[in-house]
Amino acid sequence: MDTNNYNFNKRFDWPLTTILFIFFGVSLLAIASAQTSGQYVTNFVPRQILNYAIFAFIVAFVMYFDPDQYKKLAWPLYGFGLLLLIAVVAIPTSTGITVERNGAQSWFETPIGSIQPAEFMKTFFILATAYLISKHNERYQIKTIKSDFMLLGKIAATLIVPLSLIMLQPDLGSGLVFFAITAALVIVGGVTWKIILPLFGGAAVIGGSLLWMALYMQDFLEKAFGFQPYQFARIYSWLDPYSYATSDGYHLITSLNAIGSGEIFGKGFMAREVYVAENHTDFIFAVIGEEWGFVGASAVICLYFLLIYHLTKMTLLLKDPFCTYVCAGIIAMITFHVFENIGMTIQLLPITGIPLPFISYGGSSMMGNALAIGLVYSMKFHYRTYMFTTNDPDNE
Amino acid sequence: MRKIMPNRQQNPKAKQRSSLTFRMNILFFSIFVLFSVLIFRLGYLQIVKGEDYVRELERTEEVRVNTSVPRGRIFDRYGRILVDNQPENAITYTKMQTTKSAEMLEIAEKLAHLIEQPTDKVTYRDKLDFWILRNQEDALAKVSQEEMTKFRNENEELETKEINQEFDRRIRERITDKELEQLTEFDLEVLAIYREMMTGYNLSPQIIKGESVTPEEFARVSEQLADLPGVNTTTDWKRVRQSPLAILGRTTVPSKGVPKSKLNFYLARDYSRNDRVGESYFEAQYEEILQGEKSVVKNITNKKGQVVETVTTFDGLPGKDLVTTLDVELQQKADEILERQLLDLKSKNGSELLDRAFLVAMSPKTGELLSVVGKKIEKDKETGKPYIVDYSYGTFTTAYEAGSTVKAATVLMGYNEGVIKPGTRMLDSPMRIGNITLNTLFNKHGSVILDDLTALERSSNVYMFKIAMGIGGRTYSPGMRFSLAPGTLQTIRNEYAQFGLGVPTGLDLPGETVGYQAEPDTDVKLLNLAIGQFDTYTTMQLAQYISTIANGGYRIQPRMLKEIRNPSKDGKYLGQVVEEVSPTILNKIENSEAEIAHVQEGLRRVYFGVNGSAKRQFETADYTGAGKTGTAEVVYYGPQRDKWKTNTINIVHVGYAPFENPEIAYAIIYPWATTIFNNNYLPHANLTARELVDSYFELKNKYAEEGLSTSKVEKSIIKHSDEKLDEDEEVETVNE
Repeated sequence: MDTNNYNFNKRFDWPLTTILFIFFGVSLLAIASAQTSGQYVTNFVPRQILNYAIFAFIVAFVMYFDPDQYKKLAWPLYGFGLLLLIAVVAIPTSTGITVERNGAQSWFETPIGSIQPAEFMKTFFILATAYLISKHNERYQIKTIKSDFMLLGKIAATLIVPLSLIMLQPDLGSGLVFFAITAALVIVGGVTWKIILPLFGGAAVIGGSLLWMALYMQDFLEKAFGFQPYQFARIYSWLDPYSYATSDGYHLITSLNAIGSGEIFGKGFMAREVYVAENHTDFIFAVIGEEWGFVGASAVICLYFLLIYHLTKMTLLLKDPFCTYVCAGIIAMITFHVFENIGMTIQLLPITGIPLPFISYGGSSMMGNALAIGLVYSMKFHYRTYMFTTNDPDNE
Repeated sequence: MRKIMPNRQQNPKAKQRSSLTFRMNILFFSIFVLFSVLIFRLGYLQIVKGEDYVRELERTEEVRVNTSVPRGRIFDRYGRILVDNQPENAITYTKMQTTKSAEMLEIAEKLAHLIEQPTDKVTYRDKLDFWILRNQEDALAKVSQEEMTKFRNENEELETKEINQEFDRRIRERITDKELEQLTEFDLEVLAIYREMMTGYNLSPQIIKGESVTPEEFARVSEQLADLPGVNTTTDWKRVRQSPLAILGRTTVPSKGVPKSKLNFYLARDYSRNDRVGESYFEAQYEEILQGEKSVVKNITNKKGQVVETVTTFDGLPGKDLVTTLDVELQQKADEILERQLLDLKSKNGSELLDRAFLVAMSPKTGELLSVVGKKIEKDKETGKPYIVDYSYGTFTTAYEAGSTVKAATVLMGYNEGVIKPGTRMLDSPMRIGNITLNTLFNKHGSVILDDLTALERSSNVYMFKIAMGIGGRTYSPGMRFSLAPGTLQTIRNEYAQFGLGVPTGLDLPGETVGYQAEPDTDVKLLNLAIGQFDTYTTMQLAQYISTIANGGYRIQPRMLKEIRNPSKDGKYLGQVVEEVSPTILNKIENSEAEIAHVQEGLRRVYFGVNGSAKRQFETADYTGAGKTGTAEVVYYGPQRDKWKTNTINIVHVGYAPFENPEIAYAIIYPWATTIFNNNYLPHANLTARELVDSYFELKNKYAEEGLSTSKVEKSIIKHSDEKLDEDEEVETVNE
């Protein structure tokens, strides 16, 4: 592999590195301030620095291999991910290998900390599905409705296994991420709009009517679909937290109070007033919104947008469809995390347990993201030579 | 977006490529829209609504604090004190939200040098707390860091609070009794003070030492106040009853606080747990008026939620004084009379069941209760010596057969149901119904023709039985069995209810009962209802019943509250009248004025007629009056269970005076007075009535004289003392 300095500088994705460094800073500042609320006794800042170190290591490791290797590894990794998911559900907590938190059995207990296999599975799933789509498109160069349905069928089959395992834990948040990734890959994968529009439209209608029924026809939902009343409570506590000040509703109220009272310029570093539970992980955006105000919070959102923009721009330069699909999947994954996490803190979406990528404290989430970002680095690094050519050499 | 070339010969890969670019752009555009939504929403929250959220956080908190406003006093109708507040020195401590336990401990130690604090209230748990406070290092050493780290790692999901709780629990578990013994007497005293401090509410003065504080202690602490932040020497007050009358009720003491059974009721009304509240009878009935209003302070908090300033927004109001309808002097006389007669009765043969007596005197025109007396003989459990307790609440919480005293109601019922007319004459001779013979006490074997007046004067049973039979649609024929029309029982009870018999009187005290109304299994028992030997009535009901006849047919609510007044400054001069309670008429009986007047005449003859059943006691009276005696033959179901089902006699008396313009109506019951039936004449109820009315008029004269004299209390409320018992008495408020 060519690693001479001039080439390395050209091939290494410096802008992405810069963006990640900014995230690193934002993360440390936010966590440092968040933990002063004293919910936990641990000092999370050094641990997050360690997480970033592991992050860098994983990125470097993933970057070392080129995308062709990942094509070969796509299915084995997918299988490995499934094994982990099966293990985390199947191994009882009494063995001490797995742990259950907040009613979900989603973690392995390891000497270096808790590991959540679903975080890795997201990336493995992207790899497998991207590979699947690129293979399919190569085989069916002339697309028909039939071939598109076949593709959808294959994607659905790939999705259903990890999704069911994750819902067994249960972990709704991660489950939704898989849907977001799948949706993006279906769009980018070239399925005809004639299928996509009715498919997505239908999903939107079903989702909308379920929501409407949850508000006005609970009895019907309970009888016809076996929904439990506590599941409606999540909807109510989202739409009207002040009347349903249960734990979720209360959580939302504190989050809204924190962010809202931040106003335009925020209250300044460590000048928080509102106690928001879990503000170093899932609710870290409440700290940012309160201390840095609208200006700071928007800047963070823009930073994410910049990241997405950078990834998109790079994706458009990639010639290999597999790489494009992988990038699209990663973009969808990050976007969904950001949108859901920030959205839930500002009452745009119901509360689900999803961390804010690169900022929330958490080892598994950082490692999962490292796999994804590592792939991006790898594509840029190994495909740089192809990027500006107009010809389309065969990569297989 | 890349422009798609209109070249139809594009190879599939190029086509795929351009489609991919287009789709990536779609994806990117969607993401742009989503992120815009986030920023818009954020802008709405932080810029448009930001101020609202800031205000939400800065919302200041208003706190009601217990500043121990004195409870309202209770007076009798002439302004004589019945329940007073006695001031007493107290050392208090006021905790702020920000006060730390170490600061409190320091103050407790200083105080322990200055005052003696009894240590008997200190609990084991208190001692553990205190030992940990005092020996923090030793306490921490009991549970090693490794142990807690291990525990934390095992239970990662636990929050700090829970982990600390577990830590604390383990320390407590490991403190040995020996270690607790290290606490010296002085330590325990500090602890006793400290625990009192801890029980207080923020901003509310908590009494550290009240009643038992000596003048020296008070002075010592007063001198040192500057060194004792939060401590104050102040005046607390204690509730003192100047009358033994039980129906005045009791209040709880601060250490007991509001009764547990009604905790939520009080907490919902801004009471705090250690408030004194009226626990029974009058104090409970008018709790809200007596309680007063606590002062309100507003805590101004900074953005971090710390109190920076406390502003008093409302100073609080002492509770209002209540003037009762009672005449304390008449009450005392009545007490003495009833007690004496009860003891005399008790000294007679056959009195083994007798243990109680009741008397209610009220103004028949206003319903104002003048005296409410109940006496009960109890035996000391150890020595077996009898003593008398106040059982005034028994006048409305216990009920007895009233015997012939109800006959005035029976006669009025007879008129109302059209069975008899005023003046109807009927034969009184023993009635044979099947194998049962019913007769009249004064005429057990003979035959006398009686009119209604004589029937009342001499207390004919047969006359009343015939009225009841008439209501049941039957006429008597000797020896014949009969059955009364269905509904007769209800008709009779409805008629009696018009007088208040068997229904709530509306008395303004909690816990009133209505008596026992059984289902008669034979018609003979139903006939007995008409002579007061079946249903039971309370003394209060009988007083209401006789008042209804005395005042011309108006059933009036008996009550103890006369006026609500602003707090008196010294307990001598009354404050301004806030509200004067007006009489409440519950219903008017259906009889005509003439019918009522006719019955009144019958009752007058009981006192002053040739054969009046109370003539012996009343013929010498220098006032007019009317009444009815009663002797009920009953079966004992009292507290002595082994004597149940013994036949016994209740002696009862109801009446009013003066006859023309009644000022006082009264009912007297001696339940289970004797078990001897052989014409053993027991005049005690009649004597009680006579002595009561005598006392009433004596006092009336005395008040009239004093009213003209210089009695400041008297003068301050009552202008025309000779009218003071009248319905429309004029009241003047003294200007202070």
